Formats: sequence, C-alpha cells, structure tokens
Amino acid sequence: MKRTTMRMLAVSALALVVLIGALALLSRLMVPKNNQTSFGQIDATAMGVLGEPKNTLDVLFMGDSEVYTSIDPLSMWREYGFTSYDVSTSAQPLPYTRSLLTRALERQAPRLVVLETNMLFRKVTMEDALWRQVAEVFPVLEYHNRWKSLKSIDISAEPKATWTDPNKGFCPRDSVVPSSVQNHMKPTDKAAEIPRLNQFYLDRIIALCQERDIPVLLLSTPSTINWNAKRHNAVENYLKAHTEFTNVAYLDLNLEEGLDIDWALDTCDGGDHLNQQGANKVTTFVGTWLTEHYSLPDHREGANYHS
Amino acid sequence: MITSFCSLIFLGLFMPAAALAYAVMPRRARPLLLLLASFACFWLISGKLLVLLVVCTLVTYGAGLGLGVVRTRTRAAVASGALTRRKAKARSRTQMRLVVAAAVLVNLGILVAVKYLGFLSEITQGLLGLVGIESTLVPPAIGMPIGISFYTLQAISYLIDIYRGTISPERNLLKLALFMSFFPQLMEGPICRYADMAPQLSAGAPVTATHVTSGALRIAWGTAKILIVADRVNLFVKPVFEHPEQWGGTVIAMGAVLYTLQLYCDFSGTMDIVLGCGRIFGIQLPENFRQPFFSRTASEFWQRWHITLGAWLRDYVFYPVSLSRPVKRFARVAREHLGTRTGSVLSGGVALFAVWLANGLWHGAGWQYIAFGMYYFVIILASGLLEPVFARLRNTLHIKPSSRPWIVLCVLRTWCIVFVGELIFRANGLRAGIRMLSTLVTDFSPAALVNGSLLAPGMDLADFAVVGIFVVLLFAVSLRRERAEAKAPEDASATTEPQGSSARAATNASNGPAHNTPQTTCATGTPTSAAAPGYAVAFTSPASPAEPLASHALTLRIAGVLALVLCIVVFGAYGSGYIPLDPIYAKF
Repeated sequence: MKRTTMRMLAVSALALVVLIGALALLSRLMVPKNNQTSFGQIDATAMGVLGEPKNTLDVLFMGDSEVYTSIDPLSMWREYGFTSYDVSTSAQPLPYTRSLLTRALERQAPRLVVLETNMLFRKVTMEDALWRQVAEVFPVLEYHNRWKSLKSIDISAEPKATWTDPNKGFCPRDSVVPSSVQNHMKPTDKAAEIPRLNQFYLDRIIALCQERDIPVLLLSTPSTINWNAKRHNAVENYLKAHTEFTNVAYLDLNLEEGLDIDWALDTCDGGDHLNQQGANKVTTFVGTWLTEHYSLPDHREGANYHS
Repeated sequence: MITSFCSLIFLGLFMPAAALAYAVMPRRARPLLLLLASFACFWLISGKLLVLLVVCTLVTYGAGLGLGVVRTRTRAAVASGALTRRKAKARSRTQMRLVVAAAVLVNLGILVAVKYLGFLSEITQGLLGLVGIESTLVPPAIGMPIGISFYTLQAISYLIDIYRGTISPERNLLKLALFMSFFPQLMEGPICRYADMAPQLSAGAPVTATHVTSGALRIAWGTAKILIVADRVNLFVKPVFEHPEQWGGTVIAMGAVLYTLQLYCDFSGTMDIVLGCGRIFGIQLPENFRQPFFSRTASEFWQRWHITLGAWLRDYVFYPVSLSRPVKRFARVAREHLGTRTGSVLSGGVALFAVWLANGLWHGAGWQYIAFGMYYFVIILASGLLEPVFARLRNTLHIKPSSRPWIVLCVLRTWCIVFVGELIFRANGLRAGIRMLSTLVTDFSPAALVNGSLLAPGMDLADFAVVGIFVVLLFAVSLRRERAEAKAPEDASATTEPQGSSARAATNASNGPAHNTPQTTCATGTPTSAAAPGYAVAFTSPASPAEPLASHALTLRIAGVLALVLCIVVFGAYGSGYIPLDPIYAKF
C-alpha cells in the first residue's frame, strides 16, 4: 500500500515537472522577441514603457482608455519638465494593471503612480484573475496564438524590450460628438460599490507602491458616461476604510471647476472619452496639479530626455 | 464564479480540491463531501437560486415517501383481508397517481416559471393582440438556476420509477439530494436514473491511480474538443448566424456544418469532462454519445446523440402516451381502416409527436426549437410510413442494404438532415432560419468553396487546418470505438441493427412489439445489465474515446494527458482575439 502510494506520488511529481518544463519552453518560444506589434507584442503601445531607458520616468499613468485619450505625457514634459508614460490599455482589468506595474517597476523608479479610477468598477471574474496569474508565469497562455506566425528568430533570439512609443502611450481622438447627459455629478449620499475582487487588487497595487515609497494618486478623468457622484463616493469610502495607506491621494477632475470641460466640444463620443481638445485641458490641469502637490524634477535641461 | 467546466477555476482548483478532499475522507463521509461540493458548485454558478434546487429536492423526497406509504398501506390492507387485491390495487393506483401528479406539477411548475414564462407571455400577448387587446404585462425574471432542465427530469424519473415499482423510495434525504445535485452532471447532464446512481453515489469508492489517470485523460480529451474545435469554429459560426444576410449560400452551408461540429464538440466534450470527473470519484455515469455521425437514419442519430434525453423521453413520454387509452383506441381504429402497418406507424406517430414536441421545448422557449422538434418528427414519421416504398425501390434497383456504398450514402444523407436541423436550431429565430435555408438553396456555388469566400467570416487557413487535423483524429478515435462496439457480440444487436432496439426505432418497425411491454424494455437496470439495449452498450463498454491508451500502463495515460494539455495550451482558441463560447447545453 505504502509503496504504491509512494510510486504514485513520484510519478505525479515527475509529470508535474515535465509539464512545467514544457510550458516554460513553450513560453520561451512563443513570447515576442521584442516589445513591438510586428514581433507579436500585445498592447505594444503600453508595453513601450519597458523600452524606456532605466530610471528615466517620473510618473506612470495607469488605467483604461480614459488615460490614453486624455493625458499627453509629451506636452506635460514640455510644459512642466517631468517625464511620464501612459501605461494604459483598452478595458484594462486590475489584475492586468498589477502585472503591468510590476513589470514597469523592474526598470523604473517613478516618483508617482497614477491610477485612473474607471477601471476600479470594471467587473473582473475569478477566472480572469487566475488566468492572469498563470499567464504571468507562463506567457504561452497569452501568446499561444503566435503558433500561426512563428519565425526562426523565435527560437534563436533572447526576448528583449528596446522599443518605445514616440507618444509615450498617448492616443488622442479627433472627432467631436457632444454629450447629452444632464446633471453630470449631481450630488448624492449613495455610493456605488467597487467589486470585492477589484478592492483586493487595488490593495495589492497600493501596498506594492507603499513598499517602494511611491505615492499613489487615484485620478478620475472627466467622463459623463463613466463617472458619477456614486462612483466618486465609492472611491472616498474606499480611502476612508483604508487609513493604513498613507501614500494615497484622490483627485476627481469631474468636480474641478477650473478644468472647464465643454461637453459640447471636448468629447469624441458623447461623453465617454475626451478628444484632443479635452485632453489638452486635462493635461495642463493635471500637470499643474502634480507639480504643486508632488516634488517632481524638471528634465527639460537634460540632454538625455529629448525623446 | 464558475461559468464553465472548461475553466481554470473548475479544472484547476475546484475539481482537484474536491478530489483531494474526497480521497482523504473516511469512506463513510465521502457521499456527504460530494453533496457539500455539489451544493458549493451550484452556489458558485447560480448563487441564491440554490433554494430552487432544495425545494425541488424536498418536494421529490416527500412525494417519494408518500408513494412508499401508499404502497405499504395497500399491502397491509390486502394482507389483513380488508380489501380484495383488485380493489386495493385500483385505490393505490389512484392515490399514487395523485401524489406523482402533484409533485411533477410542482417540479415542472418551477421549470416553466423560470424557463418558459417569457415565451408563454409572448404567445398570450400575441393572441390577445389578435383580438385587439394590448397587454404589456412582463413576467418577472427570476433567472434560471443551473441545470434545472436536467435535474427536473431526474426528479420526475425518480417518482415515476417508484410509481412503476422499479425502485423503492429513498429514506435518506441526503442521498436523494446528492442524486439531484451531483456536481459533475449539474451543468449539462447526463440525465441519470436513480437505480443506476444511488448505489454508486453512496459507495464512497476509493480514489485509485487507474481512476485518476483514466479520468484525467478523458477530461483532457473533452477539454481539447471544446477549446481546440468548438471555440475556434466560433470565429466562423458566430458572425454567420448573427448576420446571416451578409453571407452567400456556400458560407451559410459551411456555417451549418461547422455549427453541427461545434455543438457536437462542445456537448460531447463537456460529457467527456463530466464522465471523467465522475470516474475520478469511482462513479460511472451513463454515456450520452455513441458516435452519432455513423448513424444511417435520423432516428438512429437520436439514439446516439444525447442518449439520456432520448431514453428519458422514450420511457416517460413515449410509452405513457402510446399506452394511454385514447391513443390505444386510435391505434385499433387506425389498424382496422388503414392496415396493420400504416395504422400502427400512425398511432405511434401520436406518441412520436409528443416526444418531439417535448424535445424541442426542452431545448428552450422559442419557435425555432419547436420547429426543430417538428422537423425531426416529420422526417422520422415519414421514413416510417414510406419504408415499404423504399424497400421495394431498393429491391428493384438491386441495392443490398448492407453494401458499403449504400451505408455510406445513408450516413451522408443523415448528415444532411442533421446539418439542416441544426441550422434551424441555431438560427436567430424561426424566420431567420427559413431565410438562411432559402439562401443556402438558391445561392450555393461550388466556386465559393475555393475562391476564398470561406475565409471571410473569421477563420483563416491555419484555423481550418488545426480544426481539420483534430477532426481527423476525432474520426479515427470514433471509428475505432465503432468497430470495437460492432465486434462485441452482446452489443451487436443494439449497435448494428438500429431498428427494434429502442422505442424510436420501434415506431419505424412494422409491428413495434415494444409497445406492449414497455416495463421490460424501459427497465433502467444496473450498470452491468444488458437488459436495456440503449444503455447496455454505454454502460458495459469502458467508453473513453481515448480508450486505446486507457488499457495500457499508467505512465502512458499520464503522457497522453500531458500531450493533450500542451496541445490545448497552444492550439486552444482562448485569450485575446477569441470570444469564449458559453457551454451551449447548460442554457437549455
């Protein structure tokens, strides 16, 4: 009895080792050999952050499409001197944010991490979260589809990240479609709810930054469709419930009078996202606000930063 | 939280945890653990709707006990001489019928409330609209608990089996609850019988290396069918059926073929996962598929596809209807006036109609499902009526029914029937289905098969290649099983001779002898009994599609699992760029 049990355990352990080894090999094969779309990189624009020279970024903006349509890192650098990158992907779920941040922090030591709050309300299933965790260890899960386009370089070359997006993740929109929403941000006592799994991931992300002494700013970009007072209250409640996080601040641009968004002209799709004109306003406002509230360096003199 | 068995949560966490807990549990506690795991699984899928399952279980349990009480009382009355045997029997039958009817009504009532209320109100509104009354009453949406279409049928079969005296009522509520909720079969069946399941579920069989490895192999095989074929083919099927007006006849024809393939891989793949999970717990669930694409007739196809639903409809709809007094009278009259053959086929047709109406409706509330049922009803009835004509035709043309080309021709004909049926089934409503069929007929061009039109909906050449290779593998495995079954002497009658082996075929046969002796044919029997032909094959053959490996050494099976897992990881259609397919049969 005991001997057969031992044998079973040994065989299972061996099978597990073989499986892990095979998955690691496949991952090595399938993973893009550079962080560029032409190499098969998924979300290359955001992944361009990995190609930035070491420790050159001061601020990371993370979130969904709200970020890459409204925050322009290059103008911010021109106007205020600090460097930043939009590590944003469409419909970004928080487990992915955590992975992206972890990878970015391997190369960068930012002075501030900004999390856009729309993604806090995007429903993430346990299955998605688990899948992300496994994909972190075995990228073959994410890049398995590349069997269709494998080249010899995929066997010979080491994976690297040398490419970076010239716009630093910013993808402006041109069209103008006015928003018809009335009573945007009408005050209420009610609060929406941040899904529990999202709270778990937000906790982990903030803790990760706290460990490294990086302050975190929760930022709500202007949107009549995605943002409202209930959601604002939910973020406030979250912060009240987590007094252990001393490094977190919250800025809701939907409540800032000084920003002066014109909902007839500044949105590209009826209040969902901003267009270039709206993005200019947000970029200026956020740039000023960040320089006032955080000590961010001015790199405009440094010759190394002209890119 | 669990949306599909084919998920990391279920296959990677839930099932291993359940199996591990089961293995370390003392034998006597194992059934309880299975019940807890089943309720947990139900909760993770449907949340609070668990209440409906509990209500259904309690009602069924109570009614079962009630039937037992009636039976003992009758026996006591006869023994004491208070009543004559005949009188006592008549009285007990009336009482038992009342109990069964009440409990079945409650169970079906819940099913109707959660599944058909919307459809029914749509029909009533339509009828009211005809007489000029506008009604905007919308029934409240409760949401459908997972597996309700499956466990309701199990509950009904349990009660009717007690009524028929095939089984005695269960006294242990927990055992009945486990029968109703056993988690592997929760989502998509198979629909089990109490006599088959009860002893296995309460046995607490040990977890052995053989069970684990062969179970895992079958799970991996099923997962491969779903992720490699069903989900990849979705790239083609979804756009074609969602916007049929955009596509030509050839693309629609390919859509019907690929949807049939998708449905087969999704459903039979899920069954492989279900049976594999069952096997890890040492529980042999009934097979739901037996190489359906080797069928020569539509009715044979339905004895090989979703077998347990067909068997349920046979035992609890077909027989009761064909043995009911009005139908018997109709049969007598029809035989007198139309001759024995046509008369009995026609009277069998009444029951057949009931079966196919129920089959269509079971799949969902919608006219296309009813049309789907009626389509098969007409085909099967017509083939029964016309069989003498066909036989004469074959004789004149000197076609031997056992010649290989003829068999291949019959199989291909069955495929066409099935493809058209599934097209109606999948179409977005009956009207869209009819329109698609007319496009298929009027706009089919062979040139479109090679000029690249087939690559337009969303599958590229590489996708077609992967699916093609896997289908060849699937075919090889099926052919092997088909040959193995044909060789097994005790199964020969059931597998190679479609007619007369079960009820559906009996309607085609001239004199359906089965009509007179339903109790003997529908006896569910023990898993090893060869008494019920439809089931016998399923139960007695070990029945893993990957069977060639299963009889070999443990290590070979593990290697098979590893190879399949790696193939799934690389060639599975999941992740970015793919829309996961919800388990199709779970929504029925």
